[in-house]
Amino acid sequence: MSGPVAEVSSEVPGGVSGGGAGGGPRGAGAPRAVLHDVRYSRFTGALRPRRSAVAALVAAGVRRPLGLRRSAGSKVWPFLLLAAAYLPALAVVAVPLLVPQVDVQPTELIGYPQLLATNSVVVLAFVATAVPTVLTRDRRDRVLSLYFATALSRAEYVLGAALSAVSLLLLIVLGPALVLFVGSIATAGDPGGWFAEHVGDLPRILLASLVVVLPNAALGLAVASLTSRRIVAVGGYLAVVLVGPVLSRLVAVVVEADWPLAFDPAGGPVLLATAVVDGAPAPQGALAWVVWAALVVAGSAVLVGRYGRGGDA
Amino acid sequence: MTTTDPPAIECTGLSRTFGEVRALDGLTVAFTAPATGLLGANGAGKSTFMRVALGLVRPDSGTLRVLGMDAARERDEVRRRVGFMPEHPCLPLDMSAQEVCVHLARLRGLGHRDAVRRASEVLFAVGLEEERRRPVGTYSLGMQQRTKLAQALVHGPELVLLDEPTSGLDPAGREEMLQLVRRLSRDLGVRVVTSSHVLDDVERTCDEVVVLRAGALAAQRPVAVGHDPGGAVHVRVGGDPAEFAAALAPRLAPLGVRVAPTPAGDVGISAGTDAALDVVRDLAAEQGRALVRLVADGRGLEDVVLDAMEGRGERTGG
Repeated sequence: MSGPVAEVSSEVPGGVSGGGAGGGPRGAGAPRAVLHDVRYSRFTGALRPRRSAVAALVAAGVRRPLGLRRSAGSKVWPFLLLAAAYLPALAVVAVPLLVPQVDVQPTELIGYPQLLATNSVVVLAFVATAVPTVLTRDRRDRVLSLYFATALSRAEYVLGAALSAVSLLLLIVLGPALVLFVGSIATAGDPGGWFAEHVGDLPRILLASLVVVLPNAALGLAVASLTSRRIVAVGGYLAVVLVGPVLSRLVAVVVEADWPLAFDPAGGPVLLATAVVDGAPAPQGALAWVVWAALVVAGSAVLVGRYGRGGDA
Repeated sequence: MTTTDPPAIECTGLSRTFGEVRALDGLTVAFTAPATGLLGANGAGKSTFMRVALGLVRPDSGTLRVLGMDAARERDEVRRRVGFMPEHPCLPLDMSAQEVCVHLARLRGLGHRDAVRRASEVLFAVGLEEERRRPVGTYSLGMQQRTKLAQALVHGPELVLLDEPTSGLDPAGREEMLQLVRRLSRDLGVRVVTSSHVLDDVERTCDEVVVLRAGALAAQRPVAVGHDPGGAVHVRVGGDPAEFAAALAPRLAPLGVRVAPTPAGDVGISAGTDAALDVVRDLAAEQGRALVRLVADGRGLEDVVLDAMEGRGERTGG
């Protein structure tokens, strides 16, 4: 192959003098779309390891549901949800910071369990509306044939989608908890001492967040992987998380026991997370954990099964 | 490109069935030209062939090598060195052409800075410089096709597979796309395999045409550049052709040109050189005959391809 050819157009439309304001070199007689190869060259640089490609996919997968690099309209709803998720934590941190007379720790105003509980509605709304777009847009626009042909393997795509959904939900669940934690350090009389005393909370906060995030991500992606239409994915997910609690409570009343509550797909993970962050045993014990694990495994299995066996159109 | 390069695509005994349909039926072929056009009616197996080459579909039997690599086993390396432009719409409509190209480049393993630089380069090369920041959803079909071509080139592949690149384009868009495709192999040193069901597209963009019919090779021929100016011609004149031929033969003999009747009843002339054609003209003028028809003999690419597509012709080795 010869190197890039520098080609200079000599096609100046005859009789153009002055050209006037805005008169470009493209006169009426100039051919359309003449190509002048001055910059194209073969890329010869080294490629990054594949994890860099997955990271790029995750970054794109996080940006899209949040409406980043999209129109202003597509940002409204996700940022409303983000605001709703962060507002309680920000408020209890801001008040002691801004009003010196208030001598109260943010964690005394709202604890991590309450934060998780109040955020659970936001999480449901976010999983219902934002998480499906990680998958549905690619299916709707038929991008997958492009991805799988020359860019990604199916396994990389599934991994990227799962990490995108988990990252998005951590933003909603873990983010506010971290704001509360950092805010508490800032408002403490003895920040160093407070941090040393409470640093043990961090792993529990992270673990509790994952307890909420993983089943929701798995469920959201599983429902979204079954349809290319977001509205169907939203409806399917809402059906599961709205009907599930009602059913489990109904059964609990009928059998006059608490164990059916462990099967609540919406409230179950939150109860478990509250138990984790409190260091207390889960209300429905081992059964709740089994249901939780089953939810994560089943959701992941649907996702992997759906993308592992084709379905690239 | 040197002669020692492995064929762009080489397959042996390739078969694949989808249910009752035999999409590929023992196809054996090697694409050695810089640009090869894959021609066939709808359902001839062109798309399936490309999907096997990309490792998207596993063949039931047979092997396929892309740039010397096994398409099924060395998928990562094939992905690295091959670009693909699908036929159907496949672009994320809410992203701009620039974002699409950067994104695909990143997914293929380029670093962010390289990806941005390469995206600008290929978008410039396909003539999408000014509109590259608008969402793809607002593009015309021609611009979307060019975006698809740009993303296929963004990682600097050695080979690009183009599935019906002119599909659905208006005449102006088609013209631009054909020029781009021709440039890929001729100026940019990228090997091209393009599928089409229009011979004209292949003739204008490729060096070789491969005709598929019912999943098997029907013909493989180089695309002749120009026509042979000294080739045999057929002449049809007013009046009795035998009489004209008898008068013509002695005049053409000194030029080493023979005269013989054709099956269609015309006068066949063995070499249509300028001197010979001058003699034909002068004789017709002398005898006051009308020159009704003067055509080059020999079956053109079009005849061969049409016969192959319809199953009449014989396989012509390339």
